Amino acid sequence: MAGKCTDYIKDLNDYIDGELDDSLCAEIEKHIGKCENCRIMVDTLRQTVSLCREGKKEKLPATLEIKLSNLLKKKWDEKFGKKGV
Amino acid sequence: MNEKKLVQQAQNGDFSAFTELINAHKGRIYSLALKMTNNPQDSEDIVQDTFLKAIDKIDQFRGEAAFGSWLYSIALNEIRGHFGKQKREDLKPVEEYLPAQGAHSEGGSNSAHVFDWGDPHRILESRELREVIDEAINELPIKYREAFVLRYFEELPVKEVAELIKESVAATKSRILRARLAVRDKLNSVFEDRYGRKMH
Repeated sequence: MAGKCTDYIKDLNDYIDGELDDSLCAEIEKHIGKCENCRIMVDTLRQTVSLCREGKKEKLPATLEIKLSNLLKKKWDEKFGKKGV
Repeated sequence: MNEKKLVQQAQNGDFSAFTELINAHKGRIYSLALKMTNNPQDSEDIVQDTFLKAIDKIDQFRGEAAFGSWLYSIALNEIRGHFGKQKREDLKPVEEYLPAQGAHSEGGSNSAHVFDWGDPHRILESRELREVIDEAINELPIKYREAFVLRYFEELPVKEVAELIKESVAATKSRILRARLAVRDKLNSVFEDRYGRKMH
């Protein structure tokens, strides 16, 4: 199938994320082989997610940890009384 | 101890069981809130309110979903509440993100311009690149942002994202794709501008 770019766009995520069945993958790869714009589109969409995922994972601030534990215990005691362990 | 047992104990008033349950998820709830709001103070408030709500509703948890998914759904409600009623924003239809293609162009004048990014780290410093990416994500309307963040930052399968945002798998896939295209579009325009400056 010599498809047009619009035939494939809705499947691009599944293709890039490796969740597309083999026959559709092959169709998209055939199209990308001939369409430079779509090749760049696929490449930059892939980069979009990998760039987003870069950087350090933010950890829960230590001050929030302490605040949370006091706040939740207070709430727990209000709900369960001193039955809360 | 397994999750089911911990939930039972928490529902019987065992605070240490509840603490153990939330300890496994609090980091992820904070990171979800931070990605959605891009604001540490608001994210702290969302984390607190999520767990306070979880205490309120612990008796209602029936175990149909994993405890973590249940917490995510509470957190998402808190996050939506944080943004309040926003005007119904939408993104362009997917076809308009497609590149123009010369003779066999189908995208018309609205089509995206594409060029090879190469390595964006060569034109932007890490901090600046991070700011551009955060800005691109923050420009997404909430319903797209939550789908994108759950899928690509929290790395949840599409089916689980669909359950959390209460949409069909097909609608969820479309939302994630449009979000990804919109973020790409934004990065593309920034990189294009920078590459242009670099070249001239």
